[in-house]
Amino acid sequence: MEQLVDRLAAHWQLGPWGQELLAAAAILGVAALVFVVALTYAGVITWIERRVAGRTQSRIGPNRVGPFGFLQWLADGIKMILKEDVIPAQADRPMFRLAPYAVMLGVFSAFVTVPFGSLLIGADLNVGVLFLLAITSLVVVGVLMAGWASNNKWSLLGGIRSAAQIVSYELPAGLAVMVVVLGAGSLSLQDIIRAQGGAPWNWFVFRDPFCLVAFFLYFTAAVAEGNRTPFDLPEAESELVAGYNTEYSGIRFGGFFLGEFANVYLLSAIATSLFLGGWQIPGVTPAAQADSVLLQLAGFAVFFAKAWALVFVVIWLRWTLPRLRVDQLMGLCYRYLIPLAFVCLLGTSALLLLVTPGSGADLALRLGTTALGGAGLLAFAWRVRHHIRRVGDRVSLDVLQRGARGVFDPALQARRYGAFRRGQEER
Amino acid sequence: MSPELRQVGRDEFVLNMGPHHPATHGVLRFVLHTDGEIMRRAVPEVGYLHRGLEKLAEAHTYAGYVPYTDRVNYLEAMFCNQVWSMAVERLMGLEVPQRAEHLRVIACELNRIANHCVTLGSISMDVGAYTPFLYLLREREAINDLMEALCGNRLTYHYVRIGGVAHDVDGAWVDRVRAFLDHLEPVLDELHSLIGGNEILVRRLANVAVICASDAVGWGLVGPNLRASGVDWDLRRDAPYSVYPELGFEVAVGRGERGQVGDCYDRWAVRVVEMRQSVRLLRQALDKLPAGEVLAKVPRSIKPPAGEVYQAVEGARGELGLYLVSDGSPKPWRAKWRSSSFSALSIIEHLSRGLMIADLVALIATLDTIAPEMDR
Amino acid sequence: MGALASYLRSIGRSVLSLADGLAVTFSYLLRRPVTLQYPDRTPEPVVKGLPERSRGFLEVDLDLCTGCGACDRVCPIDCIALEVVKDAAQGRLIRRFDIDLGKCMFCGLCVEACPTGAIRHSHEFEGGTGDVRNLVVPFVDAPRPPAKAKQEPPPAPKPLGAILRARMPGPWDPPRPSSPAQGGDHAA
Repeated sequence: MEQLVDRLAAHWQLGPWGQELLAAAAILGVAALVFVVALTYAGVITWIERRVAGRTQSRIGPNRVGPFGFLQWLADGIKMILKEDVIPAQADRPMFRLAPYAVMLGVFSAFVTVPFGSLLIGADLNVGVLFLLAITSLVVVGVLMAGWASNNKWSLLGGIRSAAQIVSYELPAGLAVMVVVLGAGSLSLQDIIRAQGGAPWNWFVFRDPFCLVAFFLYFTAAVAEGNRTPFDLPEAESELVAGYNTEYSGIRFGGFFLGEFANVYLLSAIATSLFLGGWQIPGVTPAAQADSVLLQLAGFAVFFAKAWALVFVVIWLRWTLPRLRVDQLMGLCYRYLIPLAFVCLLGTSALLLLVTPGSGADLALRLGTTALGGAGLLAFAWRVRHHIRRVGDRVSLDVLQRGARGVFDPALQARRYGAFRRGQEER
Repeated sequence: MSPELRQVGRDEFVLNMGPHHPATHGVLRFVLHTDGEIMRRAVPEVGYLHRGLEKLAEAHTYAGYVPYTDRVNYLEAMFCNQVWSMAVERLMGLEVPQRAEHLRVIACELNRIANHCVTLGSISMDVGAYTPFLYLLREREAINDLMEALCGNRLTYHYVRIGGVAHDVDGAWVDRVRAFLDHLEPVLDELHSLIGGNEILVRRLANVAVICASDAVGWGLVGPNLRASGVDWDLRRDAPYSVYPELGFEVAVGRGERGQVGDCYDRWAVRVVEMRQSVRLLRQALDKLPAGEVLAKVPRSIKPPAGEVYQAVEGARGELGLYLVSDGSPKPWRAKWRSSSFSALSIIEHLSRGLMIADLVALIATLDTIAPEMDR
Repeated sequence: MGALASYLRSIGRSVLSLADGLAVTFSYLLRRPVTLQYPDRTPEPVVKGLPERSRGFLEVDLDLCTGCGACDRVCPIDCIALEVVKDAAQGRLIRRFDIDLGKCMFCGLCVEACPTGAIRHSHEFEGGTGDVRNLVVPFVDAPRPPAKAKQEPPPAPKPLGAILRARMPGPWDPPRPSSPAQGGDHAA
């Protein structure tokens, strides 16, 4: 973007003030564009969330507003804007008003460094990863402000829990990211992507088993930072009504809401960039991509597909897993994720010393890890097939008319609940 | 200042888990004295759903009150109908035809499965997993359809009457029930894969709010709550009634499957096994269904001789009891419902010391307390 | 060593159980939903598909009603307002038969008590209206003599719900007095 600004300034022969104004206009323009893109992504993610939630629960999601309910999020957004602005009587008004903006700022600012394509990036900072980790921490301030300013004990509890959670999970996230940075040798996101390749065995996730584990650690930690189930205790419906955003309604709540969903996209985009090869296309070098518009768009499409696949995984996790209790959540972070992250860091460092990149051993390691990942996916697909075959592929309420489906296995029942027998039998 | 506020310690604050709350089952209020996460006390307040059902019994005839019994506990309406009918039949010395007794068992066991669907679903939802609730409600929907074909209503059945049951069944309905049972068992396995064996659920429920056997008996817990604490007591086997003596089934007792005996996970697992045993009972009852009448000859105006009776059945929540006093007139003199939810609620305050708020939610859910039964 | 083994075992157990749960929910993405898209995208109107014994709103066929009052006496919640008067010229007349659909418990005792089957449960369940007074449905327009217990030939059976649908309150109806014959207040 800087080159574009310089070229325009030269073309229009602007003086120093003119160049400054042009630069300012360019920055504002890019910021607005990024904001709009991030908002749209957040809105569309809510649509995907509701459709995926519906289909995993044997029902349809929204399907009336627009084709497949695609405009539902727009309708909800308009509704939120038109709602009455309610601020609790004793609430701290300035802080109450400011809190959603702090959260949105923390999340949307990070979009500037997301590499949608090799040239499609707002600002390729040479401390990209560090900037990302730092700016997303601004969310903590917003959450604490919301919890305190609401003048509500439930909100306060939620806000404090959330702050503790986000701050704690920065550690494993940062350590997992360090694993990648070691391999790439740079903090810049574009450099990290360029250090990977297009094919799966050239991605960082499959570079060695430690990186595979680091990917899951980063993913878990990032989901926890985003307050998504199974780590959504601050918003736990059944316990705290809505946690730190209980007292928020209308577009202020919309601010938190969109911030959370934009964060989901952000974490998926970062995971894609760091671990899944970003915009790299198999068989195409980054230089070739930079030259051709078509390949740029293809790179963008590849990034899009990978990031949205991870968004789908985050949504899928939400609708499957129960919630961790707050002490279990903290225990997971400090007793499982951080030690494992250190192990991965040490392991990757050791492998970097022992195995020279580009050698046969390196390739064997990559292919082996890829095979491991592939085997995992295959086992998972087999399990899905098993479940469909047991209960039926058309789980329908008129099973009563059409007769039985699936097979009942008494031995499995006995194994499964073997401990529950009348008192006399031995365990 | 209220008496409760005066007792608040210095570093304690009072949270109101009010009647409007997603986690309390029905309208139920808890005043939590907590230091932020660990509770000192959770004081329950009941009465938000009091409808005067016991007093209403004194104003209606015996047959006219049966629809009200559905509302005493709408999730196990068949059992409520049954306990009222059995109490009146005992007072009158009325014998119920065998076909009606089998139909009662069939209807009640279906109701038990439906109830456990709601309970397990609510536990999952309170713990944060929203999806199992919908799967279980889908299965419950199938039972609702069966009940609608049987008696006309999906929730307040008014099916078990004084002297028998209201309607007869045909072969088509029996086949539908069998098909449903065949469909249900793999679904229960799938439920275990999804949530029952899920490590997060186990961590949330295992070793949480352990109720030892002596506490369970002392505080008057019944049903799955009591059995999960290791006490082997089931009215269907130990104080048998209806045709349960002819049917074979196992009583699920908690064995500390993933934690200690009497923790929340045991209360979960006991209910799952109960659902499977209900399926087994249903299959036997359907096979043994004899021919005959479904309703005995009952006088137009039911006037039991003066006397009193305590009748209990093993409902989905445990012993559902009715103490009925008749004075010879067409309307009861006194009806008192012994509800399991009330005693289950009373133990919550005792257990709440040292519990976290999230654990309190899990405890309320696994104790299966339900407001209409508590408040009547 | 035992601690490390149990640590690793707990990780393994967690990962496997979570993956199994994820497999279940993923498998549902590949199955058809069970949603019945009421009210406009159902294969047939739901009212037509309900079981025979389904207990919907009550309706009364006054061509069969003998005015005996058995339904009124047996109703546990007093939702039936039945007035039978003796007129000097015409004899017994049913002046009022109002059913308060808002109070009805759908228990079916009145249906079982009726000797001629005049009162019955239709399958209707869509009765939303703007004012609670509109839920009191009057079935008598003008005082009429009760039917005989045994009629030759028996009157033609009316389709289930037809009588009710002719008198059901609409969602936007203004509040109306409970009985045109009476022009008066709420059903008792």
